[in-house]
Amino acid sequence: MSQKKRILIVDDDPDFAAAIQKILTSAHYDVNVAGSVNDGMRMIEEEIPDLILLDVMMEKYDDGFTMCYDLKHDDRYRGIPVIIVTAVTEVTGLKFDPETDGEYLEADDYVQKPISAEALLTKVAKLI
Amino acid sequence: MSGERARILVIDDEKVIRDSCTRILIPEGNIVKSAENGDTGLTLFREFHPDLVLVDLKMPGKSGMDVLEEIESIDPNVVKIVITGYATVSSAVDAMKKGAYDFIPKPFTPEEILLIVGRGLEKRRLLLESETLKVEQERVRKNMISLVSHELRAPLAATVQYLEVILGGMAGEISSEAKEMINRCDIRLREMLELLRKWLSLATFDSLKMADHFENIDLSGVARESIEVLKSLAKEKGIQLKLEAPVNLSPIKGSKVSLEEIFHNLISNGIKYNKAGGWAKVKLYERDEEVWVEISDNGFGINEEHLPRIFDEFYRVDGRRNAPIKGSGLGLSIVKRLVEAHGGMIDVESRFGEGTTFRIGFPKFFQPQKEG
Repeated sequence: MSQKKRILIVDDDPDFAAAIQKILTSAHYDVNVAGSVNDGMRMIEEEIPDLILLDVMMEKYDDGFTMCYDLKHDDRYRGIPVIIVTAVTEVTGLKFDPETDGEYLEADDYVQKPISAEALLTKVAKLI
Repeated sequence: MSGERARILVIDDEKVIRDSCTRILIPEGNIVKSAENGDTGLTLFREFHPDLVLVDLKMPGKSGMDVLEEIESIDPNVVKIVITGYATVSSAVDAMKKGAYDFIPKPFTPEEILLIVGRGLEKRRLLLESETLKVEQERVRKNMISLVSHELRAPLAATVQYLEVILGGMAGEISSEAKEMINRCDIRLREMLELLRKWLSLATFDSLKMADHFENIDLSGVARESIEVLKSLAKEKGIQLKLEAPVNLSPIKGSKVSLEEIFHNLISNGIKYNKAGGWAKVKLYERDEEVWVEISDNGFGINEEHLPRIFDEFYRVDGRRNAPIKGSGLGLSIVKRLVEAHGGMIDVESRFGEGTTFRIGFPKFFQPQKEG
C-alpha cells in the first residue's frame, strides 16, 4: 500500500478546519492544519504537502490570494495543487469570481464554504 | 476648492470681459485664469481644475454651448455660469439644460458678478460636500457588508460543516432520532446561509458594473438550462415543466448568470407554490424590439391584495413562521432588479386558486446608461 497523501489546510477558523480535517482523514489522507499564512508557509518549507486547501479570507481579506500568488510564483512550490476555499464570493470590495479571477489567482480549484463531504473528496482526489 | 482659494476660469473672446472678471475676482481671494476661445479654454480647464467656469455663449470657433457640454461630461460637479451678450431667455434656458447653474447678461457691474460667482461657489461647496458624503456612505456600506458577511456567514459555515461530518457518520454512530434532529438543524442553517447570500447580493448590487460584462444571450438556451436544473425538484413535487420557444429567437444583451437567476427564481416559484399534478411553463416570443418571457403556472395564485407588494424586499405573501413553504422574501426583489439592469420590465398577473403569470420584456438592443 502506498504512503498516505498529505494535505495542508490553511484556515483561521479552527472549527471549519477541524470539520474539513475529519472529512479528509476519514478518506485516509494525512492532514495538517495551519491557522495563519505564516504558519502555513513554515509548514510547507518543512515538508511539501501533496495538496493545499487555502482559505482566502483570514486576518486580512486578501491573505489567501497573496499566499496563493506567492506559491504559484515560487519554483519550489508551484507544482503543489491549491484548492481555494471561499465564503466570500459576493462580498463587495472583494468580489471574487472564479470564472474571471481564476486566471489571475492560478488556483487549481475552488470550493465554497460549507462544502459537502462528497464534493470535497471528489475535488481532492482529482488533483492529488 | 482644495484649500481656501477658489479657482475660477473665464472663457470669453472679449478681452475687456476677461480683464474685468480678473480684476474684480482676484481681490476677493480667488485664483483666476482666462482663455480667449473654447478650445484654449478646454485645454486650460483640464490643467487648471477650476471650481467654477464663466463661459461666453457667443464666441468665434467652438460655441459656448459646446464648451458647456464638454465641461459637463468631464466633471459635472464644476459650476458653470454663462455670460451672454444677448440676454434672451431661450439661450439661457438652453444653457441651463446643458448643465449651467446660472447666467449673467453683458454688460454687468462688479456687484452683479460678485453676487453670481459667490452663489456659484457656494453651490460648488455643497456639491463637493455631498460627493464626500456619498463616498463615505459607500465606504460604510461596504465595510458593513463585508463585516456582516464574514462574521455571520463564517460561524454558520463552520457549524454546517460539522453537521456534515456528523450526518456523514464520520464522527461515529448516532441514533436515528438524533440524526433526524441534526438534519433539521442543517436545513434551518442552510436556509439562513441562503438568506444571507440573497441579502448580500441585493445590498451589493451594482447594475453598471454588471453591464460591463454583458454579452449576446440566447434566452431559449437559458430557459432550457434552468428547466434542466429544476427537473428533479419538479419531479419530486409532481409538477410538469413545459417550454415553448420559437426557433431562431433573437439574442438580447445581458449577463448569463443573472438571467439564469431570473429564470430559476420564477420557475422554482411555479413549482413550489403549486400542487401535485400542476404545471409550470416558460414561453418565449418576440414583439417589435423586445424579447418577451412568460413564466406561468396553474398553482396557488396570489391574492389580489398582495400583488402590489410582491416585488418589495422582505415582503412575503405567507409570512407565518410555520408557513408550509418558506421563502426569504427577497427572491422577487432580486428578480426585479436584475430585469431592470437589463433595461427590461416585469409585471405579474395572478388569480387566487388559479395560477400566476410573470411577464418580462427585454429590449434586444440595450445600452446601459453611464449616469443614474
